Amino acid sequence: MTTGLQEVARRHEAEVKAVSGRPVPRGEPILELRGLQKNYGTVEALKPATVTFLSGEIHAIVGENGAGKSTLIKLLTGVIPRTAGEVLWCGDSVQLATPNEAIARGINAVHQEVVLCPHLSVAANMFLGDEMNRRGLMRKRAMTDAAQGVLDDLGFNLPANATLGSLTIGQQQLVATARAAMRGTRFLIFDEPTAYLTRQESAQLFRLIRRLQGEGVTIVYISHRLEEVFELADRVSVLRDGTHVGTRAISETNEGELIALMINRTIEQIYHKEHFPLGETIVETRGLSGPGFADISLSVRAGEIVGLYGLIGAGRSEFALGLYGRQPLTAGEVYWQGRKVEIGNERKAMELGIALAPESRRDQGLCLNLPIGLNINLPVFRRLTRGLTINRGAEAANADRQIRDLKIKTPSRRVLASAMSGGNQQKIVIGRWLSHGAKLFIFDEPTVGVDVGTKAEIYRLFARLLEKGAGIILISSYLPEVYELADRLHVFRQGRLVASHDYRAASHEEVLAQAINA
Amino acid sequence: MSVETVESAGPTPKRGISILFGLTLLGLLVVLWLLLGLATNAFWTPNNISNLLRQGAMTAILAVGQTFVIITAGIDLSVGAVVGFTSVIVAWLLAAGVPLWLAIVATLAIGVLIGVFHAFGIVRMGLPPFIITLATLTSLRGIGLLITNGSTISITDEAFTNFSRADFLGIPSLFWMVIVVAIPAYVFLHLSRFGRYLFAVGSNSEAARLSGVNVNRTIYLAYILSSTCAAFVGLLLASRIGIGNATQAEGWELQAIASSVIGGTSLFGAVGSVHGPLLGAFILATINNGANLLNVNSFWQRIITGLLIIVIVYFDQLRRRGSR
Repeated sequence: MTTGLQEVARRHEAEVKAVSGRPVPRGEPILELRGLQKNYGTVEALKPATVTFLSGEIHAIVGENGAGKSTLIKLLTGVIPRTAGEVLWCGDSVQLATPNEAIARGINAVHQEVVLCPHLSVAANMFLGDEMNRRGLMRKRAMTDAAQGVLDDLGFNLPANATLGSLTIGQQQLVATARAAMRGTRFLIFDEPTAYLTRQESAQLFRLIRRLQGEGVTIVYISHRLEEVFELADRVSVLRDGTHVGTRAISETNEGELIALMINRTIEQIYHKEHFPLGETIVETRGLSGPGFADISLSVRAGEIVGLYGLIGAGRSEFALGLYGRQPLTAGEVYWQGRKVEIGNERKAMELGIALAPESRRDQGLCLNLPIGLNINLPVFRRLTRGLTINRGAEAANADRQIRDLKIKTPSRRVLASAMSGGNQQKIVIGRWLSHGAKLFIFDEPTVGVDVGTKAEIYRLFARLLEKGAGIILISSYLPEVYELADRLHVFRQGRLVASHDYRAASHEEVLAQAINA
Repeated sequence: MSVETVESAGPTPKRGISILFGLTLLGLLVVLWLLLGLATNAFWTPNNISNLLRQGAMTAILAVGQTFVIITAGIDLSVGAVVGFTSVIVAWLLAAGVPLWLAIVATLAIGVLIGVFHAFGIVRMGLPPFIITLATLTSLRGIGLLITNGSTISITDEAFTNFSRADFLGIPSLFWMVIVVAIPAYVFLHLSRFGRYLFAVGSNSEAARLSGVNVNRTIYLAYILSSTCAAFVGLLLASRIGIGNATQAEGWELQAIASSVIGGTSLFGAVGSVHGPLLGAFILATINNGANLLNVNSFWQRIITGLLIIVIVYFDQLRRRGSR
């Protein structure tokens, strides 16, 4: 028995219709915000916003961190109550007071971080909370078949009986989307869905989004990547500092205008590339091998950015962790400023002068439920210690200096890291190494989930580090970033270094082809 | 989002629990004392107060050690068994004619070794803290019973047994021991870098590791401190009851965990303090003491303790949610 998306979704047709309001013809307003507003105390998170979403459109929302995008999503999905204003759903005023109300009306969201159960199967996740039952027992086989039908129908090529946790983050994202699509959703919000996806996965997701649009679902698409907005959206709304600064038809605007609306800054100022005279070689690896990477030989000189490009899982992060002493090496040598060294653990790497801003801020980067100040000072507490105790003044001063220098938006170093936006969290991870006096900085995907303005700040920071004589290894899955910034670009594929290019020596297409072996 | 940033701009816990929560607990303790003073004449007598302080002291010391472990997102179920076991050890050593000072040092050293063993199981063998400390909980009692052949060893050293009955400046010496433990514990947890490391490991050990924190050493430290505190309590107990018996201190690990949790420590790690578990221990001791004075069935004491854990932790949860 196989069923496609339509059949599975039809299970909910009746109940969704009962509460979700009358049908709205394509192109007519389905959701209208009238002066929708959210204050936290005296802070205006979202100033009165009036936006109309048209039935069946893909409506992108762009804005920097803190612009109010998350607040808007939370208001629409019933996670937080509004302060003032009105929301019209299919012409009727609605409260959207709870997540269940939003879901019952057919409003759903797919979040950047997948919130599903990694230990259950794909099928079990797709039917979670909505299981097919017969006489109180779950019809496991039927659900697996139905889920497989939906996945095949969507062209995902994923096994429905696989454990969700065994899939890549990107594949999990696709499952989460399929799950939302199955539930009679009429209004689907994507919150930066491609942040962790490879190109192929993104392409699959886009196909799915267009298909849902074709079936009459209204899509709200939130992204930092403007090129995606232009590829996908019909209209785009821009938020800045909690203000809705405008909505444009995509055909009537361009990247430059959007950026100007978002940040009052031109596109040339984002990729801030300065060339510095190259100094001595800081680090050199010869035939370095370890779990997930083999035979990597490369070097980094003072004043140089070495870019490592490849798909997720190509072995770049593993190489970085190996070089940093976190993973055991199986073969090869590391030369630090010309001297052969054994980097047995992270502390040895730190002592040499290597700093690592790891790939996942949440899993590897931050102690989320601890204050910003502690997170910043973590590597340098030894230096801040006088006798038995920490010098509290120096501790505070170091944290405050990084917060000030990096413009981390927080009222105090005592605020928990979990309260920070992606961009500010990244700044905390980076800031922790700035007072450490490192010579080699490894940045692994430093701009994932980071807005354009913060990106530009991070790139300028690179230049500052290079100027002081440091070297940088920049790992990124986002080609324009490594392409525009790296003095030397290495391409990784399946754990090996397959090609190397000087600054802008190869075309985008060439580099991409090498990364995917096309 | 900067929005959320500002949301939590209010009183945010810097390290562990906030001052406000500590004051609430202290308030609760004072209210309990005032109410008991009104309800019964026997409460505010010097005899009863010093009795209360003695009762609370041992749990308090266990709870402080336990808190170090819980902050790293671990648990030490063995502390009660360690107390019983070390009471046997010290009694045994004294009976064998070992000088008092050496017996004390050796007993504390055994506490250190037990902690080392726990951390070894966790760090090297990859066992969950719950399992390795559960294993020592049962086996230490067994070893203790083997040593004594199932009976008790009496302690004849009067200098040792008099200690627990002595007062200093009108305060029982056992309570002074709380202060002797609490002050270095406070310096360690709140003022030294090792305290910061405990919180970091409890919050995200991978992030701590990549930031150059010696995670393994931090875990060793936490478990060594916990079982050394327990061995210290074993000495105090042996002094108080004048015997070594491996079945003593049954269930004290739960008292210690309860005190710690009432004192605001989060079992998920990275939240806790030194003053919290101290207050928690004395709140529990006061409830027991008061219930005895009021002739409340001792079974009720257990029920009240259970309810108190739920109520206090629930209010703490509400408070945390509110500040998010």
